[in-house]
Amino acid sequence: MRSRWARAFGIRWLALARFAPEAGGAAAGALSLPAQGEARSRPWWLDVWVRMLVSKPLGAVGGVIVLVMLAAAVAADWIAPYGFAQTSLRERFITMSTSHWLGTDELGRDLLTRLIYGARISLYVGFGAIAIGSALATAIGVVSGYLGGRFDLLVQRGVDAWMAFPPLLLLLSIMSLLGPSVWNITIVLGVAFGIQNSRVVRGVALLVKEHTFVESARALGAGHLRTTLRHILPNVVPTIIVVATTGLSTVILTEASLSFLGLGVPPPYPTWGGMLSLAGLDHMYRAPWLAIWPATALSLAVFGFNMLGDALRDLLDPRLKGG
Amino acid sequence: MKRYLIRRLLLAVPTLFLVSVLVFALMRFMPGDVATRMVEGHAYAPTLAALRHDLGLDRPVHVQYLDWIGGIVLRGDFGTSYWTRQPILNEFARRFPVTLELALLTILVSVVLGVLIGILSAARQDSAADYLGRVLAILALSVPYFGLAVLVVVLPSIYFKWTPVWTYVPFTVDPVENLKIMLVPAAVFGVTRAGPVMRIMRSALLDVLRQDYIRTAWSKGLAERPIILRHALKNAMIPVISLVGLQIPLYIGGSVIVESIFRLPGVGLFFFEALTRLDYPVVQSVNLIIAAMVVALNLIIDLSYAFLDPRIRY
Repeated sequence: MRSRWARAFGIRWLALARFAPEAGGAAAGALSLPAQGEARSRPWWLDVWVRMLVSKPLGAVGGVIVLVMLAAAVAADWIAPYGFAQTSLRERFITMSTSHWLGTDELGRDLLTRLIYGARISLYVGFGAIAIGSALATAIGVVSGYLGGRFDLLVQRGVDAWMAFPPLLLLLSIMSLLGPSVWNITIVLGVAFGIQNSRVVRGVALLVKEHTFVESARALGAGHLRTTLRHILPNVVPTIIVVATTGLSTVILTEASLSFLGLGVPPPYPTWGGMLSLAGLDHMYRAPWLAIWPATALSLAVFGFNMLGDALRDLLDPRLKGG
Repeated sequence: MKRYLIRRLLLAVPTLFLVSVLVFALMRFMPGDVATRMVEGHAYAPTLAALRHDLGLDRPVHVQYLDWIGGIVLRGDFGTSYWTRQPILNEFARRFPVTLELALLTILVSVVLGVLIGILSAARQDSAADYLGRVLAILALSVPYFGLAVLVVVLPSIYFKWTPVWTYVPFTVDPVENLKIMLVPAAVFGVTRAGPVMRIMRSALLDVLRQDYIRTAWSKGLAERPIILRHALKNAMIPVISLVGLQIPLYIGGSVIVESIFRLPGVGLFFFEALTRLDYPVVQSVNLIIAAMVVALNLIIDLSYAFLDPRIRY
């Protein structure tokens, strides 16, 4: 079933590729030295999206889900029919209706509104944590890999210790002490993500360090700072992008599980994990949609980010392929 | 082999030392004061100072740390809970079988499902069955287990008048009744973990099936079943085992959530209750015990490779 279509599409794509030189070799190009006079019709970051549409349809579906979520998050104030904390005690536990498309909860709050704002919080925490985490992972990974020696050994034992914890236990411990808040959870998730993924970045930095262009830069008199910033860092960037995109779904899921236990984002802010939470379990027997919709939203989001991340990983960094 | 084992065990010592420092520092240098809560909310002692002295919280931090870690290393004493005054190790040992059973059943469910579907998918690559299997794996990956657990608790009770059993019975008392309680949580947790297992199984088996010795087996005239099950599967299992091993911390972390949804009296619930009451010694010791288990498990997994693949030697 697939083979015939794949062949037809493959041939058409090959024909297209002839007019777009280098399109196929961009995966390797992204990893090799930054543009050394290679003639390329599109920059690699644009090329990745074009190739994804063609060779990774599921990744494209994931991308659409992520875009919808982004749109909902950005436009929440305009598209949400009610306020996220707007209660109406006369309209408690309403099933789907024209005024409340997805029904209302135990305080008469509109579920659709809360889902839309939930997307905003999820993305806010997700992107925030990933931004902090990527910066941290890069800093630890590049410095540890580049300097090597005793410093590297020491840092890596610290990372070992951190990774010996089951992630949820450690995060729960920290959050219960800090207290639930949007800021706290974003920073804590970011730090956890950063430490965990510094291993991957360090691995790449170790490889890049051995290239002769680094040696020649050093020989030409570049200092350590210049060498890391101008020569190591650009070659680590594709890996960081991959780690960040594949990590987003995990971060969103972790935020949801912490909020589920009441240690993530505090009320009244609506989060998908918080809406599913243990505390609201009693109401769900009366109104099962209170559980169904947030669970669906969360699954869709995780699915979208997973597919997008997988596709980007395969396209950007073939070495990490698999699984 | 022996030298490798000794080196790994020696390497575990600094790791566990750092773990203990990390978890201890977390508990002491962060806001939130257990003594205030115990005196004001529950009147454990007449004054704050008296309680602090009682719990040893008025001593310098490094003395507290040495007291805690010294007790563990020298006497195997993991301390007592602030609130119940019960030895932590006893409580941990009493609850651990619940969590262990949950984890083992979960792994069983996820491995059986994942490996079966993975084999079918790989053996019939690009067939309709393969696509179905892959879509199922992606779905399983996307559904958060706590969301699924909530749905499993709530929906059947509304529509079929069925509820999970809430009162826990130990396996040693009544195995059948115990399994009735444990199977639902394990199935929920296991199904959502089967996705990655299936994907690894499929790609590993596809990889192995393209190797020369499999071609030799085909040309000897062997049937498909013995080739896949006897020749290919054993080698393809290595990535699966390392995945399951890597996921064990996830099972333990997840047990906090699963146990609190299904009200199972395991280590996860013990830990979570201790957290909400800021019971420092319990949180510290449970974290440390579990981290030690994870380190030990990683070693066992690494050693198991040598049995699965004779080419790997240490």
